Amino acid sequence: MNPVITAFDKGIEKSGIEPSRVCVASDIPFEPEVVNYLGIDFFHTTRGRSIAFGTGLKLGNPALKVVPFVGDLMTIGGNHFVHAGRRNMGLLVICVNNFVYRKIGGQPTPSVSITFSPYSTFEEPFNIPHLANSCGAAYTARWTALHTDELTNSIAEALGKQGFSVIEILSPGPNYYKGIKEIESNVINFYYENSVIKNGEDPRNVGINPEEKIVVGKFTDKKRPTFIDSYNTQLTKVLGDKFIPYGGKSG
Amino acid sequence: MSPIINGFPRLRGLKMKADPRDVNTGVYYIDGDVAAGQGALAAGCKFIGGYPITPSTEAAEAFARVAPLAGAMFIQMEDELASIASVVGASWAGVKSMTITSGPGYSLMMETIGFGAMLETPFVLLNIQRGGPSTGVPTRTGQADMMQSRWGSHGDYEIIAISPDSPQEMFDYTIKAFNLAERYRCPVMIMSDECVGHMTERVVIPPPDEIEVEPRRFYDGQINEYLPFKPDENLVPRMVKAGDGYKLYITGLIHDERGYPVKNEEYKSIYTKRLVDKIRLNKDKIIEIKEEETDDAEIVVVSYGISSRVAVRGIEKAREKGIKVGSLRLVTVWPFPDKKIAELSKTVKAFVIPEINYGQIAFEVERCSYGEANIVLIPHGGAGVHTPDDIFHAIEYAAKEKKRIEGIIEYKTKLEKLIFEEGFKLYE
Repeated sequence: MNPVITAFDKGIEKSGIEPSRVCVASDIPFEPEVVNYLGIDFFHTTRGRSIAFGTGLKLGNPALKVVPFVGDLMTIGGNHFVHAGRRNMGLLVICVNNFVYRKIGGQPTPSVSITFSPYSTFEEPFNIPHLANSCGAAYTARWTALHTDELTNSIAEALGKQGFSVIEILSPGPNYYKGIKEIESNVINFYYENSVIKNGEDPRNVGINPEEKIVVGKFTDKKRPTFIDSYNTQLTKVLGDKFIPYGGKSG
Repeated sequence: MSPIINGFPRLRGLKMKADPRDVNTGVYYIDGDVAAGQGALAAGCKFIGGYPITPSTEAAEAFARVAPLAGAMFIQMEDELASIASVVGASWAGVKSMTITSGPGYSLMMETIGFGAMLETPFVLLNIQRGGPSTGVPTRTGQADMMQSRWGSHGDYEIIAISPDSPQEMFDYTIKAFNLAERYRCPVMIMSDECVGHMTERVVIPPPDEIEVEPRRFYDGQINEYLPFKPDENLVPRMVKAGDGYKLYITGLIHDERGYPVKNEEYKSIYTKRLVDKIRLNKDKIIEIKEEETDDAEIVVVSYGISSRVAVRGIEKAREKGIKVGSLRLVTVWPFPDKKIAELSKTVKAFVIPEINYGQIAFEVERCSYGEANIVLIPHGGAGVHTPDDIFHAIEYAAKEKKRIEGIIEYKTKLEKLIFEEGFKLYE
């Protein structure tokens, strides 16, 4: 977690955004509470609702930079991810994927391909950047926690974006990797050494497969009108001068 | 007298008039749902996140139609879970917010309603009740979510619930709901029902300077000294907006005044007690009831929502027969007017409670009357309302019945007598 928070801190600094304008919404059980020390407002919401809560925060005050900073968000609350992407809601989702529900005992997540459950996992995992991209996300990237410079740059870049941005970060959840020799011996470097940077790779090809190297990089960066842009355009078209544009241009 | 009983010294002068941009002054012939949408706008609501569900949809539609003209936002979220979460989020961003739903959606929202109460978030929830359980009868009425509104989310918390009985009241009490939510920093439920929601009547929307709205009570001290959960003398903390540099730490975990999670027994008690006490100790200021001829009444009809409209004629008929019957209408259902019921129970023979469920508020009346009066419940299965005669006959029965202290007496409606006693055959 520490390298991720450091990258987040540096990313904010690099983006030039005032930290007080950044709001982090997380949910249960993933709690990046340390962001509070960075001078950032921190909201710890109900399970799986960080994106929905963040949507409200963003629409309540479009000048905010709202960051749903979450663990695996593809089960509870997965629907909110899909629809925030479709709307191109101005949120930066930082998804810290450590393949386990660490805080509640190491159960497998839906984006796991290696596994820690007694009889292994046999379900097909999600490819998060691909899912985000197909839902309409403006920006998708994946890094490991040890790609600190690349990650910092990605966070800074995504904070400057107006639309729905998703950064997946592969980070170890070491307590539950026992028994898998390759990982157990060198948890910190496992992902880093087993990854290959391919910027601009088609997100369809970046699914995590234990047989192959993990593809990391900045995959997509599209320009699409955000939710507030589309809202203002459509209502100005229909209502003309009577319409009061929502939230200025910061959408 | 303690400062809590003294009222809201700091609040005096805080009241302000509605923004003219938000008020569509005029005389209308509209239904209760639409009136509630207009009421929300007039109260200064700037955000509704909702998901369509019969029979509440018209309220959301009404708001969605006028919102863009008043700088407000309506967003149709992906589900009710998202709607309620977005409403809590928007409230923390500093705008008055609301969601609109009915039975199944209400059940989905429960977890985050508790979260909203825990975070002491002001927001309003309009529930146009329909027949339940489950999908029930979507297009027809019910009053069976009353206990759910009070106890639906897990853990100890308190909310305020209001039950309007006409389109005009849907307008007026939606504004009141927003004012109460801001004053007590808690979720406020408008527990209406399909009949009131779909009832079309004359609604007068007054000019903006006749509408009192309560602005959010923002913290105005030093930024470094702000404690998001430090209560004032009324047990209600001041609020700030997200993104204003207060380094908020807001969590659904039990927290101290700074907002930081704490796990010990002492804090659990301190926090939970204040969460319930801020409503319980202020209930005399919150509760609104409408009382008619209860002074020398032998029987008092306790009713709310659409049932109180039906009761009017039933009570009239009973009076024509010379029965001394009074009416106690619960405008505020939660917190419950327990003192009033206890006081009346000393003088009346019986309470008659018509409600469109198999006993919810009747249990509260029973609890608060301490066995001093008979409790006659007229239950109704839903998908329809009582007839005035049902209420009239129940009053007649209650007037004749001797005192017994053996719990609630169920008095069947004419329809139920027909079905359950007279062998009514549905399929012949």
